[in-house]
Amino acid sequence: MIKSNTYALIFLIGVFLCGLLFIFNIGIGSVYIPFGDIISALTGGEFNRRSWETIIYNYRIPKAFTAILAGIALSVSGLQMQTFFRNPLAGPFVLGISSGAGLGVALLVMAGSAFGITMLYQTGVGLWSVIMAATAGAVLVLLLMSLTAWKVKDSMTLLIVGLMFGSATSAVISVLAYFSDAEQLKVFTVWSMGSLGATAPVQLKAFFVAQIIGIIPVLMFIKSYNAMLLGETYAESMGININRLRWAMIISTGILAGSATAFCGPIAFIGIAVPHMARLIFRTADHRVLFPASALIGAMVLLVCDAISQMPTSAQTLPINAVTSLVGAPMVIWLILKRNFSKEF
Amino acid sequence: MAEGRKNIILEGKNLQLGYRKGKKIFEVTSDISFSLMKGELTCLLGPNGVGKSTLLKAILGQNPPIGGVLTFRDTPIAQYDRRAMSKNISVVLTDKITSGNLTVGQLVALGRIPHTGWLGRLQDEDRSKVEHAIESTKIGYLHDRRLSELSDGQLQKVMIARALAQDGELLILDEPTAHLDLVNRYEIMHLLKDIAHRQGKSVLVVTHDLEIAIETADQFWLMECGFPLTAGLPEDLILSGEINRLLPDDQLSFDIRSGKILPLTAEIDYTIDGPHEIVQWVKKALGKAELDKTDFKISISKNPLKFELEYDINKSIHDNIETVIRELTIRSL
Repeated sequence: MIKSNTYALIFLIGVFLCGLLFIFNIGIGSVYIPFGDIISALTGGEFNRRSWETIIYNYRIPKAFTAILAGIALSVSGLQMQTFFRNPLAGPFVLGISSGAGLGVALLVMAGSAFGITMLYQTGVGLWSVIMAATAGAVLVLLLMSLTAWKVKDSMTLLIVGLMFGSATSAVISVLAYFSDAEQLKVFTVWSMGSLGATAPVQLKAFFVAQIIGIIPVLMFIKSYNAMLLGETYAESMGININRLRWAMIISTGILAGSATAFCGPIAFIGIAVPHMARLIFRTADHRVLFPASALIGAMVLLVCDAISQMPTSAQTLPINAVTSLVGAPMVIWLILKRNFSKEF
Repeated sequence: MAEGRKNIILEGKNLQLGYRKGKKIFEVTSDISFSLMKGELTCLLGPNGVGKSTLLKAILGQNPPIGGVLTFRDTPIAQYDRRAMSKNISVVLTDKITSGNLTVGQLVALGRIPHTGWLGRLQDEDRSKVEHAIESTKIGYLHDRRLSELSDGQLQKVMIARALAQDGELLILDEPTAHLDLVNRYEIMHLLKDIAHRQGKSVLVVTHDLEIAIETADQFWLMECGFPLTAGLPEDLILSGEINRLLPDDQLSFDIRSGKILPLTAEIDYTIDGPHEIVQWVKKALGKAELDKTDFKISISKNPLKFELEYDINKSIHDNIETVIRELTIRSL
């Protein structure tokens, strides 16, 4: 059995690695900036060129922080969903949050031609308007889900209804896409591929605040999640209020995954895979370890994925949503084959 | 009488149990009265669908009774809040446990959840309760194993340890011996008896394992469709024939001599001589082979075991029942 000291050591190493990845991440991009310069600048020195300073402070550091925040948000949401629904395939988006956000953005971008009227969105991508549209869509679906959760007490039913909401909103998006211009379609498609670079420092602050608020319910109910390992009836017999936990979970994942989707677009894979990676690496089911572990691993994985998406030495970047799945899927398959995965969930 | 009342942990009076769906009420069972005593192992028996689970849900506060009074230590169950309830009643359910990554020690420690703070950190008292639970279920050797590595019997003991660590006065177990082999069934039921007698807990077990229940239970509660709950000492219920209420059709009956449930078919009168304990098995084998002729005689001698078969004028000696039956079937062809 792993002692708590060992956990502390693994976490320390993890945080250190995460710091290294952070520096590595901001060192990579279409413009070459030597690592030595970055480190000396971060420790109080000056950059050799003004343009480097702009690139680092206005673009790369916010992007790296966005990666960390989104990684934490998605993995923590995913872990909550998997434990609450006792389903290893659950992820942050099972309640339809990402499709809701997608619907919001789709309406903003493509509804103009679909309905033959000019919407607010016409020229250029207004950063805040996309974020607001995504938030509005996510909140809408979340409200519908909350109504359902209020009526339906059974978790499995809630899960299925969430999937149905997701399908329904995706269908609406398809209809919108079918009637929209090629140019608008491309804008939406690019959004749906996700991007960590769309957050300027202002948005980053908003994102950060959302994360703090979204994490609070997790901290409050961390013990309840451990009780949920034995299922709802056992948890109830141990004095856990399932109804309250359900609301905490909906609110927390709504804020965390919703804001991550609003600011970065839908990012697949992280939310489902990272909790499994945390379980496999830390070999525990204790949520007091799993939540911080998932957060740490989520941040690291997204930093790595972002670095890869920059395609070092090339001016091109790959969509982050594709990279997370391309890199992550083999990694998880490897972990699963190496360990007896299904027994460890 | 006053002393007797003090020992009543759980009491039900004229309970009417069922489900509410909107304004409609679906009654499952009614006229359920009982008192559950401290320090006793009580077995609740009855056919599927008679309302055993509904009764358990009512006791756990998950599905309040439609009518009647259900009290825990003289206070209506409904007046306990969830947390207070969880400190008094712990359960072992039939739900499948899927978290293979938990170690036995961690799982038992989960039983302390109602007693710990928001992070669930264990204090000295919690640790000693967990240790005691592990000791009294004799699963110390499993402490660091993961649940995925346990056998069904081991897992059931671990779940009982978890319920013990929760440290309530009442332990409720829903079919704890289902799917287990004979030895484990005996071990678990005797373990529960020990817990009731030595630790002074009330243990309520829903079971279909009549024979082991008769051997271990202090009290039987019999439930059957359309009748009030019958409670009493298992032996009393056997002698009064009330145990047969578990077998509502006329095909089966509880055999008072062997303590087994036997089919109510008319016994064919074979002519068999020999020691009683051997004769009964020979009869059983002949009955299963559906030999309905009786114009033969079997004499059994012990040490060495020999079966002498006589019919018409033939005589043959066999050393097992199988060849006796074979000869009889060949003849009747």
